[in-house]
Amino acid sequence: MISLLAKKIAARRCRQGELPANVCTYVKGFTGSPDLDRPLGEVRFVVFDTETTGFNSAKDSVISIGAIALNGFRINVEDSFEVLIRRDSVGDSEAVTTHGLLRKDLDEGREEQEAVDDFIDYIGNSVLVAQHADFDVVMINRMLRKKYGFQLLNEVVDTASLAKRLEKGPYYNLAHKSGEYRLDVLLERYNIRLYDRHTAAGDAFLTAQLFQILLATAVHTGIRSLRELLLK
Amino acid sequence: MPSNTIVERVVADLQKYPPFDELDPAVLQDLAESVSLTYHEEGEIIFTKGDTLKRHAFMVMKGAVRLFDTIDGKEVLVDLCDEGDMFGVRAIFAHHDYVLTAQVAEESLLFELPVDKIKHLLETEPRVSLFFAGTFAKSVEEIEHTLSEAFDIGQQLCREQSYNNFLQNETLEVKPVTTVITCPPDISIQEAAKIMSERNIGSIIVASSENHPLGIITDTDLTKKVVSRPGSIKEQPVNSIMSSPVFTISGGKTIADMVMLMVKTKLRHFCITEDGSPDSPIAGIISEHDIITSEGNNPAVIMKAIMQAADRDQLKEQRDKTENLLQVYIDQEVAVHFISNIVTEINDALITRAVDFSLKELEEEGEYERPGIEFCWLSLGSEGRKEQLLRTDQDNAILYANPPEENAEKVHEYFLALGRKVTGVLQHCGFVKCPADVMASNPVWCQPISVWKGYFSKWIVTPEPKAVMHSTIFFDFRPVYGQAKLAAELKQEIFSLIGKNRGFLGFFAKNALQNPPPLGFFRNFLVEKSRDHANEFDIKARAMMPLSDAARVLSYELKVPEYFSTAERFKRLGGLVPGMKDLAVEAAAGYEFLMRLRAVNGLADKTSGRYIKPETLNKIERQTLRNVFSTIEQVQKTLNLRFQLDYIRD
Repeated sequence: MISLLAKKIAARRCRQGELPANVCTYVKGFTGSPDLDRPLGEVRFVVFDTETTGFNSAKDSVISIGAIALNGFRINVEDSFEVLIRRDSVGDSEAVTTHGLLRKDLDEGREEQEAVDDFIDYIGNSVLVAQHADFDVVMINRMLRKKYGFQLLNEVVDTASLAKRLEKGPYYNLAHKSGEYRLDVLLERYNIRLYDRHTAAGDAFLTAQLFQILLATAVHTGIRSLRELLLK
Repeated sequence: MPSNTIVERVVADLQKYPPFDELDPAVLQDLAESVSLTYHEEGEIIFTKGDTLKRHAFMVMKGAVRLFDTIDGKEVLVDLCDEGDMFGVRAIFAHHDYVLTAQVAEESLLFELPVDKIKHLLETEPRVSLFFAGTFAKSVEEIEHTLSEAFDIGQQLCREQSYNNFLQNETLEVKPVTTVITCPPDISIQEAAKIMSERNIGSIIVASSENHPLGIITDTDLTKKVVSRPGSIKEQPVNSIMSSPVFTISGGKTIADMVMLMVKTKLRHFCITEDGSPDSPIAGIISEHDIITSEGNNPAVIMKAIMQAADRDQLKEQRDKTENLLQVYIDQEVAVHFISNIVTEINDALITRAVDFSLKELEEEGEYERPGIEFCWLSLGSEGRKEQLLRTDQDNAILYANPPEENAEKVHEYFLALGRKVTGVLQHCGFVKCPADVMASNPVWCQPISVWKGYFSKWIVTPEPKAVMHSTIFFDFRPVYGQAKLAAELKQEIFSLIGKNRGFLGFFAKNALQNPPPLGFFRNFLVEKSRDHANEFDIKARAMMPLSDAARVLSYELKVPEYFSTAERFKRLGGLVPGMKDLAVEAAAGYEFLMRLRAVNGLADKTSGRYIKPETLNKIERQTLRNVFSTIEQVQKTLNLRFQLDYIRD
């Protein structure tokens, strides 16, 4: 019930005027108890991915965020999001090339604060979806905490765990065979055409296609409401 | 603002398939931004017949969707769509309900494309409207945008995009020489020759005092008529040796016009006058040289070489060259009617020469005496219809005037000997023997007109399905050498026989309906109405014959006297059969598309091109073919209705 507490604290800070209006709009979206019994077709899911300067969640920082939404099981290209974040100290040139982002692109990116504001405006109270979601959530939260002293309030679905659960049942130990649930392995297994990866938006788009198939499978196995999907 | 990366990704996906494949990415941006992706499992229904139209059309990105109609509770498969196929496009054009049900045949990823965005592209991009004109004709009953329009737009596109060198050339005006050197009719041949050598010109126009062309003298005239003759005629006036009248034309002729004119008239110089007649002032001159230097591949050169060939080897050489020419024309997407005109002219010239050679040989050998009986060499089947682009089987016959009874045997022997010789030459030139032996070398098909009339009478008066099927080839006869009036007489006799035996047309039409067209393609398979899938496609039997058969039946019913090609027949029929105008234009265009496809396939495989591997077709070819199938179906329906064929039993 930490999240419930977090929501209350954030709401109080809003009332006391400690947080800017746009953040308060975001926080307001979580007022009251969430309707977990909504059918999945009525939920807006935002599938997102972050690209970072490295894989150390304590040291590295986010250089881009890409996202696309599913409404009524449809992936809507119109309802997508992409932002590059300007970093003055992207010393690690190796990581830069891995992500296909050039120094120049990053120079043209937005300030971290603006990017985070845009992102929370875009996601609202939607259910977030990501591949190995923990890492991405931590990275976003670090930016949020630094600026506003709070973190994401959204429900989160991890596609790797969902795939594992649908394929093997909820008690399979993912840690043993984590390789089977890497994004590219999953995409291949679910017959999703791969293309040039390594941009946050591109990976979010692919993950959304994976999630779309997983959702259809979930509906088949009797998972019909958000509550059932989130195992709450 | 949607993500650029994702929009670009969707644009790239759209661009893999027509009609989006040749559009500028920037043009597709707007459509891509509004695309939705949906995932469906096998068996899911996307929409049902009678449902209100959705506000988007669908494109299959992965998987397969079947479209079917429900008639009296039974499912009738209409189409199978796979990667890159669009369906539900009815929503773009119509305002009512779906007329088919769409069901997922295997798990699918679909793009939903908003109707208003597609409409916008329709208005701004000719390629997209061209595509939907065809698709629409296929999927909607009330045809507003016909295939013919699509073909028109297609041709227009070819010109606009100017990726087609020849078409550009073809429509390019030949620039005449406007500083024409003339001489009066009364100067001496010597003086005229002097002018020509001083000016370094190959020809001189003899003009009247009003500058009207009277005749022409070319260097060939000088060699043949003056130099080679004994005695001096150099002092004689030019009008004694000039060729007259001069072939006059009006200005503004294109290369295609001029090439056809050269091929037809076998002349090398054309005089342009102010109004195109010989009775108006000279405005310019176009020579063979001008035309040849206008463009590289010249059928007239081949034609000339055939006319001047000394033996059968030279004929073969020229016919081989024609195949190269055909390849160039096909590559450059020259209009099929133009190509088939040229190739037919060349084939006819070759046959003419083959007959000339053979007549001469017979005379030299002296075994048979040439009877004083008129005869006519007939081309049959596709060559009779002027459609033999590639060298396929030869089908021919000899028709001769009725000989006096006492000579009948001898005359028959002579013409049979002629038939054997000519077919031998043609075989030497690459036209293989007809497996069914429908050739002038076969005694049965080398007969006087009375016997030919008897053959047709038997076919027409007591028709029998099998005999009708085998005789269609003869109904496409065309005179190529000799007395064309014999062929005309035979044709009139056939019209009269048919007029008295209306039942025959029913059999004839029934025969044309033997092969229903397939539904279309799915993956690399052909979707058949009778069977499910087939892997090879006999383009001749399954697509061309249904059309050429139908055109033949209607042409004989309506007594069209010309020796027409299938496309020409349809064009004529459009004006003769009420309500058939649009369909006839579509059928003609469709038939020419099939001819092209067959030629492309034949040239690539070095075969007759008859069997097409569907996997070698690109998406747009498959789409067009699918539209042609639907046209064939319409033509067959028309025939069925016209002859009430449902009442005729086999």
